[in-house]
Amino acid sequence: MSIRKKVASCIGILAMVGVFTKVSAQFYIGAEVGGNQNYLVTNVSSLNATEIVPKNGFALSAVLQYKVNDWFSLEATPGFIQKNYQIQRTGYYKGIYQRNDNNYLQLPVSAKFYFGAKKLKGFVDLGVYGAYWASSHIKGAVPNILDQKPYNPAYNPAVDPPIDPVVMSQSVFDDYTPYYYDQKYHFDNTRDRRFEFGITAGLGINYEATSKTNFFVEFKYADALTDQQNNYQYGQDARNNETGTIFIGVTRKVHTCCKKKAPKANITTTN
Amino acid sequence: MKKIINNIYSKSKGLFLLVAFILTLSSCHKEVSPTNQVGSTYTVNYSQVFEDFWNSMNKTYVFWSIEKTDWDKVHRDFAPAFKRLDDEVALYSSDMIALKAARLFKQIVDGLVDSHYSLSLITGYGINPSLDRKWENPEFIGNLFMDKNGSITQLYPDNINYYNVGVDSMYLEDKVAGYDSLSGFYSVSGMIKNTNILYFSFSTFSLLSQYQSGTNPNVKASIDNFFTKLTDPKVTSLIIDVRGNGGGETSDLNFLLGRLVSKPLKIGYTKSKSGPGRLDYTPWADAIVKPWYAFPSGFNKPIAVLADGLSASMAELTAMTVKALPNSIFVGDTTWGANGPLTQNSDFNAGSFSFGNLGTNVDYGITYYYGSVYTSSCMFKYLDNKIYEGKGFPPDYVVKVTPDQIFLPDNVVDDPQLNKAISLLPK
Repeated sequence: MSIRKKVASCIGILAMVGVFTKVSAQFYIGAEVGGNQNYLVTNVSSLNATEIVPKNGFALSAVLQYKVNDWFSLEATPGFIQKNYQIQRTGYYKGIYQRNDNNYLQLPVSAKFYFGAKKLKGFVDLGVYGAYWASSHIKGAVPNILDQKPYNPAYNPAVDPPIDPVVMSQSVFDDYTPYYYDQKYHFDNTRDRRFEFGITAGLGINYEATSKTNFFVEFKYADALTDQQNNYQYGQDARNNETGTIFIGVTRKVHTCCKKKAPKANITTTN
Repeated sequence: MKKIINNIYSKSKGLFLLVAFILTLSSCHKEVSPTNQVGSTYTVNYSQVFEDFWNSMNKTYVFWSIEKTDWDKVHRDFAPAFKRLDDEVALYSSDMIALKAARLFKQIVDGLVDSHYSLSLITGYGINPSLDRKWENPEFIGNLFMDKNGSITQLYPDNINYYNVGVDSMYLEDKVAGYDSLSGFYSVSGMIKNTNILYFSFSTFSLLSQYQSGTNPNVKASIDNFFTKLTDPKVTSLIIDVRGNGGGETSDLNFLLGRLVSKPLKIGYTKSKSGPGRLDYTPWADAIVKPWYAFPSGFNKPIAVLADGLSASMAELTAMTVKALPNSIFVGDTTWGANGPLTQNSDFNAGSFSFGNLGTNVDYGITYYYGSVYTSSCMFKYLDNKIYEGKGFPPDYVVKVTPDQIFLPDNVVDDPQLNKAISLLPK
């Protein structure tokens, strides 16, 4: 059994333990907002002077929490999340890049375990998510092979000494006119896989401000188990998003259910 | 057929060797073992050679989005074939194995759309799919002018050879022609007799470098004659003749065509690879011709471009550029269909590459490869959003020629394509 399957099994078992423990369940709703950094994990080693670097984004979610008891809750946080990255060239080719801002609609479902004091609690959560790659925006610069740089009439190779190529070409854009672009990305149905599934893990602190209101800070890590591409070619290198987000959020109790009723008074008459 | 191909390759041997040498130097993504020295003999693991070729094509070939060849099927079908070749090394002579390998490579690349594509093997075999396809077409202009012995009739009179286009003296006055024997470059300019139509033709796109090098005064004089007459108010129209012109340097886009425009002219779009996946592409970038600094006013009179089935690459871009101008016509025949620009692989992580590392001779610092591929680094799309790679750019006025039409009795020469262009332009 793989580690991921073991983790999933543990989440399931712990969740069941929480659910079937005698409950005094409470519903909370809320919102969370955060900043993140996304890594695109893939192999570009075959490309000359090329690297992929993580880029920042943001996330915004609703929080729907079913608090089973003091130490366990189930949580769904449907929302919007960016998973951005940049592919860029190095050395002589520095300046060639493409930043990909990828917008996902994501539904994480997780089991949350609390520990600590009543007012200030720590928590960890483990879960799974499904996401839909809704849109994307690309911004970058490439050499434009058919947009020649303006001719320098002052230089006459028949008379002037040859230009030292090392001096002449410090950068690719000394030799090529750059083409800058900043545009919506049009999905390629053959290549792009727009549904993504993965696992999440989080660690945070919850502060119970009032009996109904909680504030929290959480670092949440999401690891895509599915490739960002369809399996469209033999020998394909997978591309997986790994996203770390720091959320701040608030939840408010809206409903309590299954509360133990107070025992009826034992009335006796003495007629 | 074999004789014809051999003839072409023997004529182009120097070019192929030069290309192979440059590709060997420019290829950056191969691992080189400095301890693996290779002398005059080498051993080949054909399975590894195939895998390296297949993977390099998979990652750096630029036409996958329009390619009809099923590259996954190529792997399924040919990986076992090259494995069998490894098994047969002990059974056959090295010449036979080399021939078998060349035949396999030919089957693989035969249908590729890239019409710049050529594959050179260390065993001496060269494969040029688009050329092979042309020879198989009985209407291909190269076939029409070839006799049964494979010798070539000069297509256009006054040619230095078949690939160097000129125009017969009977058509021109104030003619200035130049020929550089070192490079084989040829250019001719003048006025069409009894008209004010300016005519310019040249063998390859190396105008700027020829002009700047100054090694041949006649070449420079012929180019200067064209530039001077281009500003002459008496000139009513212009013919640019790129028939038989196989292309060349993109720097000539502005040097030649930049003199025809007064503001930047969009002629189409290019795109290349953005990652290792087959369908990883950059966006389309505008392809621009900029006004030449010394000719800011451009040329605003009618222009005809002459091109034919032997006009390739930059010659085709020239036909397309002229067609992007107002008052322009294209007369002749559909062009070759090799529009994708080329540069070294590392610029775009796309295009030409070497494959099958056989080792490095540390004494000379030379790495040997089983083969080299010459292929476009970018895809070109014309203004009409059509990609003419592998198809050729069609003329407005189709005028096909045969030797019987050009070479008339009593040494009279007639040129139906040129006649058509003259008839359509103001005199």
